[in-house]
Amino acid sequence: MKLDPEERWRLIDRVARETVEYGAERSTIGSVLAELTVKPLTGIPFAFAVLYGFWGFFDAFAGFFTDGFFVPLFDDHWLPWIQEAFPLKGSWLYYVLVGDPEAVNSFEALGMLTSGFFVAIGVVLPAIVAFYLVITILEDSGYMPRLAVLVDTVLHKIGLHGFAVVPMILSLGCNVPGVASTRTLETKKQRFMIMILLSVFIPCGAQLGVMLSLIPEYFGYIMIYLVTGFFVFGWVLNKLLPGRSPEIITDVPPLRTPTIANVSRKLWVKVKGFFTNAIPFVLLGVGLVNLLYLGGVISWIANSLEPLFTGWFGIPKETVAPLIAGFLRKDLAVAQLSAIDMSGFQLITSVVIISIYFPCIATFSMIIKEGRKSGGVIRVLGGGLLTLVTVVFLWGGLLHLIGILLGVT
Amino acid sequence: MAILLMGHPNVGKSAVFNRLTGANITESNYPGTTVDFTEGYTYIDGKEYKVIDVPGTFSTDPKDEAEKVALDILAEHEDPIVLVVIDSTKIERGLYLAFEIMERGYKVMIALNMWDDAEKHDLSIDVDQLEEILGVPVVPTVAISGKGISTLVENVPTASRVDIERLREKITSL
Amino acid sequence: MDYGEKGVIKEIDRDLKDQLLGRGIREGKTIRMDTKQPINGPVVITIDRSTTSLGFNLAKDIFVEVENGDTSNGPS
Ligand SMILES: Nc1nc2c(ncn2[C@@H]2O[C@H](COP(=O)(O)OP(=O)(O)OP(=O)(O)O)[C@@H](O)[C@H]2O)c(=O)[nH]1
Ligand SMILES: [Mg+2]
Repeated sequence: MKLDPEERWRLIDRVARETVEYGAERSTIGSVLAELTVKPLTGIPFAFAVLYGFWGFFDAFAGFFTDGFFVPLFDDHWLPWIQEAFPLKGSWLYYVLVGDPEAVNSFEALGMLTSGFFVAIGVVLPAIVAFYLVITILEDSGYMPRLAVLVDTVLHKIGLHGFAVVPMILSLGCNVPGVASTRTLETKKQRFMIMILLSVFIPCGAQLGVMLSLIPEYFGYIMIYLVTGFFVFGWVLNKLLPGRSPEIITDVPPLRTPTIANVSRKLWVKVKGFFTNAIPFVLLGVGLVNLLYLGGVISWIANSLEPLFTGWFGIPKETVAPLIAGFLRKDLAVAQLSAIDMSGFQLITSVVIISIYFPCIATFSMIIKEGRKSGGVIRVLGGGLLTLVTVVFLWGGLLHLIGILLGVT
Repeated sequence: MAILLMGHPNVGKSAVFNRLTGANITESNYPGTTVDFTEGYTYIDGKEYKVIDVPGTFSTDPKDEAEKVALDILAEHEDPIVLVVIDSTKIERGLYLAFEIMERGYKVMIALNMWDDAEKHDLSIDVDQLEEILGVPVVPTVAISGKGISTLVENVPTASRVDIERLREKITSL
Repeated sequence: MDYGEKGVIKEIDRDLKDQLLGRGIREGKTIRMDTKQPINGPVVITIDRSTTSLGFNLAKDIFVEVENGDTSNGPS
């Protein structure tokens, strides 16, 4: 038997009157802080402070381990040792596993055992740990829904609502859970938009880690360009796509102090996942690109795409190799740019192209899986690819144009 | 036999699930953490139960994909026990969902989770009376510390269906 | 309604009502407006002990009698 809603509430109110007794609501430090974080006047500066603080932590933590520990370890000890100790110098096996016998830094050696290990463990692992620590604290403190309330107005302008920050923030760790979390958005339009926008414009934690280690001086420009792209194309998609953009309705949970037990448990799950899912892909990526080099495939593709690369994007044709690696891992793709001779502006452009040209394979599979629930795989992929090609040509080309206008190319 | 953990988003379903099955599912303090279901197993009195952590849902009328997953799971299982997890500080709206599920004729039991929060806010709930009125097991729990979980487990075999007509009369005559 | 003000919900627009019932937002309940964001941003309200955020255009459809006696809709 079903009750109608009014009656259901009547009965429940009656039960509650009998069994529940409310004491006086007390103001605690927690509840005061909880209110301040959603009031615009105090909440917005607080949000900037939080994000800046976390950013500083990430930078310091990753920098400490990568530059202070892993770079000397790999460059001064591991790299020279394996270059000498590995037999068969000059053979294809040596090239695939060790890479350049003359290389003096682990980014540029390009072998599976040299760059592969260095990028995975020396650069990305510390970045991942730092990033997930930050994201976990954001998750467990109950701050994310508050951030959602604060950014609602801005995201509303592009047909999304505040809760879309949850997939956005999760994507900064890894795009895969980011795409999965789009399920909590109400309409197909919103899910499609945020899925495409985040897989195109939001670099994952691993990629951010490599960028920060390799090209800290350009980091800010690249991020600004990507974020601008997010909003520009979000605005366009919102205008073009049919469908509803409902407004935000979300619970705002109380602030809690994250427990060490839960934070370390989640961190452990992520790190374990990194060892089993990510590191094999990084090594595979390095090996694959090396084999394609040896087989002449890379130079063939590079030569055929040269007009597009140099003419339209203004980047060297050799960038093809990292882009191929990027199908597997974007962090690896950025790392491989280090071995290519190019100007600072070309480096910025290349990193932007790596970010936007295609989602990594893991994200791509997740989009296919979620696409089924968001209007069908064909429609999501078709629409997604169309958007993607447009974005790559326009947003990539525009950057070249900006470079020409600034006179830096 | 399947036990489905259902309830509003962010009430601690995944935390209860981890406690019941020893799993490591993500618990986070925002609504919509779990968007897909996870299965685990637990043994009660030598009997194996399949426990399923379900995405949070506000009512039996789904508003997004995650809620749709939740209701599909409910529909898929034949005669499951539905463990409705309620945030004790928001007991009324939690009961609303519990009622909806009871009205559909499922075997139900209730975990009054976040009991520590309720105590902190000077909220007192007469659990025995509530149990008596509803006619299903009601157990206060604190999923993050594990308090009440063993009582919850002991009560699984007594989860029961509710005759709504009788419940209505009982409540009206209180 | 203004920050910090309390009132009693008089009426909720039909479409919205179904969405809010499960969240405990219903006619006859006392509601407190915690904040509203500028430029027609969302409002944050508390009912019983649960805090919810609602888009501006949704909140407009909740009619509240403010404690001093006036009737006004959501974020006026
Ligand atoms: N104080 C307190 N916190 C709890 C308790 N149970 C869970 N939590 C915390 O509440 C938050 C939500 O818990 P989850 O288990 O993720 O909630 P859920 O019901 O699975 O949420 P969704 O997956 O979003 O539907 C987490 O931060 C938990 O650590 C409890 O009994 N007391
Ligand atoms: Mg959960």
